Amino acid sequence: MSAVAVARSSLATSLARYGRSWGLWILLLIAPIGARFWVPRGDGSTIMITIQGVMPAMNSAVIGVSLGVVVSTLLLPVAYAYLRASTTRRQPWQVEEVTAGSRVAIALGRFGADVTLLFAVLAALSAAGLFLSWLMLPPGTVRPLATLFALWAIAAPALMGLAAIRILWDALPLLRGPLGDLAFFVLWMFALASPIATADATPGYWQNMADYGGFVRPLIHGTGEKDPDFAIGFTKGSPKTMPIDVEAGLTAPGYLASRASWMAIAIAVAVVAGLVYRPHRVRRRAGLGARLHKLLAPGTPPAANPAALPAPTGRLPALGLVIGEASLIGAGRPFLLIASAIVAAGLLLPFDAVHPAALLLLVFALTAHAGRAEAKGMRPLALTAALGPWQRRAAFVTAGTGWAAALTLPAALRAGDVTALGTATATGAVAATVAATLAAVSGSAFAPRLFLLILWYGYVSR
Amino acid sequence: MALELEDVVKRYGRKTVLDGVSHRFEPGLTLLVGPSGAGKSTLLRLIATADKPDQGAIRWDGARLGRDRRPLRRALGYAPQAVDLPEDLTAREFARHMAALKGLELAAADAQFLAIADAIGLHADVNGRISTYSGGMRRRLIFAQALLGAPRLVALDEPTAELDRESADQVSALILARAADAIVVMTTHLADALAPRARAVLRVEDGRLSPAPRAAPSGQAIAA
Repeated sequence: MSAVAVARSSLATSLARYGRSWGLWILLLIAPIGARFWVPRGDGSTIMITIQGVMPAMNSAVIGVSLGVVVSTLLLPVAYAYLRASTTRRQPWQVEEVTAGSRVAIALGRFGADVTLLFAVLAALSAAGLFLSWLMLPPGTVRPLATLFALWAIAAPALMGLAAIRILWDALPLLRGPLGDLAFFVLWMFALASPIATADATPGYWQNMADYGGFVRPLIHGTGEKDPDFAIGFTKGSPKTMPIDVEAGLTAPGYLASRASWMAIAIAVAVVAGLVYRPHRVRRRAGLGARLHKLLAPGTPPAANPAALPAPTGRLPALGLVIGEASLIGAGRPFLLIASAIVAAGLLLPFDAVHPAALLLLVFALTAHAGRAEAKGMRPLALTAALGPWQRRAAFVTAGTGWAAALTLPAALRAGDVTALGTATATGAVAATVAATLAAVSGSAFAPRLFLLILWYGYVSR
Repeated sequence: MALELEDVVKRYGRKTVLDGVSHRFEPGLTLLVGPSGAGKSTLLRLIATADKPDQGAIRWDGARLGRDRRPLRRALGYAPQAVDLPEDLTAREFARHMAALKGLELAAADAQFLAIADAIGLHADVNGRISTYSGGMRRRLIFAQALLGAPRLVALDEPTAELDRESADQVSALILARAADAIVVMTTHLADALAPRARAVLRVEDGRLSPAPRAAPSGQAIAA
């Protein structure tokens, strides 16, 4: 089979699977709903972009840029979670990896499908933007092409980059799991911060390359200031407006070239993903890795007693379920090792230093168990058990809350602060509830893990 | 103790998979045989409450199952053909999870799981991650969790498929032991070695259930 046929087949099968996924329709809806809250109206009901405390005056191009902000701040993490948790999460790698089909062709085909999907979302956002322009702008000032140009110049490269990241993460064993989500989270935060950090650089191609999200430079360029005070968020009241020529920023030297470069880089990353693809297989560990693995493994099981009686029903089945959930949230020696270190640190360090570490550990542990318990293929067993899925979810939240309290108890006791324990318990309960809810909706750990990482970052940097 | 199906109909879209199936299952082993796609697994899913009939009724211990299917689920051990097993857990952790969902005493369930695992040749690997398991080991693990506790109704979907002869014999021995005081309903592609010792062998074909000839006519039903 030629590489072109392999790529075409990969593209077609992925698109067919996306087309049959209900999650796609949610994703298509999120973009226009996000637009409703992200396009500044200046009446305090929406998130606002302010520069030097002043809101850009609305015109067609500014609406396009504002929608670009929707993509970089809202859509990128949501779309990442969708791509990782969606129907194409499972691929028939057992049979695929032993075919002669080019991995580069497969990667490019799937990359093409992801890009098509994300561009469909962008098209939905474009339609929403045009509708908002018609509603918000005075008759005769609506310029649809200016809105579309601004939005696609900003968002298309960012979304292509996201699709490339997904393909690359799927190619490498280390990034297929939780580490990939953490890596994406770090990259996304870096992408948001880098244009601000490079504000003093010489204007031009490289400064624009630092603006992966693509919306900061056009806005700043339009003000004529080198490093203006730039903010996105809710503001009470109606700030003043000032005209900002964002189109000048979009056509400034180096901007469009940088956007084209990001698109080319995305395609190159998809090719690299095919080249560096590593098959799914159980790794053979050697040397230090093998010793560490042996140390962290559960060891040999206790001897079986052939005369063991059938297990009776527990006296308090609900309590047994909570204990079972707690033990599976904390499954494995690595968790217990890190948890012990956090508890020990609580004897020496202040609560504020221990709590973020405890929460971060719980983000990974909670989402791992929530994901596996809600996996679609586990449903026949979960549904037909004596204690149903809702009882399990309630037990999961209780157990997660218990872990949060237990991990921070020494630090709270040492500080003599009951409020601290309350904070730890409340944040643990919120994290467990979010993990259970998003895992139940998505059937995997990816979406809750990314969402909780974002919440965790917001909490620790408050 | 009895499970009754009354005029059960199940459709998937326009296709009627089960068309007015009635049967009373009593303690002992009942084998469901028939060609692929005949509806054996669908029937087992209905018995295990993993799905609902479009028409008809299912009675457990004389009571019709309504919205609340817990009375049957408290007595159930179910092993579907395929389960998306949690790869990052060990078999023992997975068994503990299932024991908790069944409301069992966890320590006693762990001891029972080790005994079952020992009987089906899985004991040495129960502390290994499921990701390292072969197809046959996964099949045995799915079977083992179904026997946890003392289920009075056991629904098994092709539990001996993919197993070598020795493992299949070990699994069969446990199935027969359980069938001594429970209703065990099991699908199988072939009327295999268990047929002579089954209480009934039923053929599922064209949406109907009918008695099927046994592989060995001299067979003796157990716990009849």
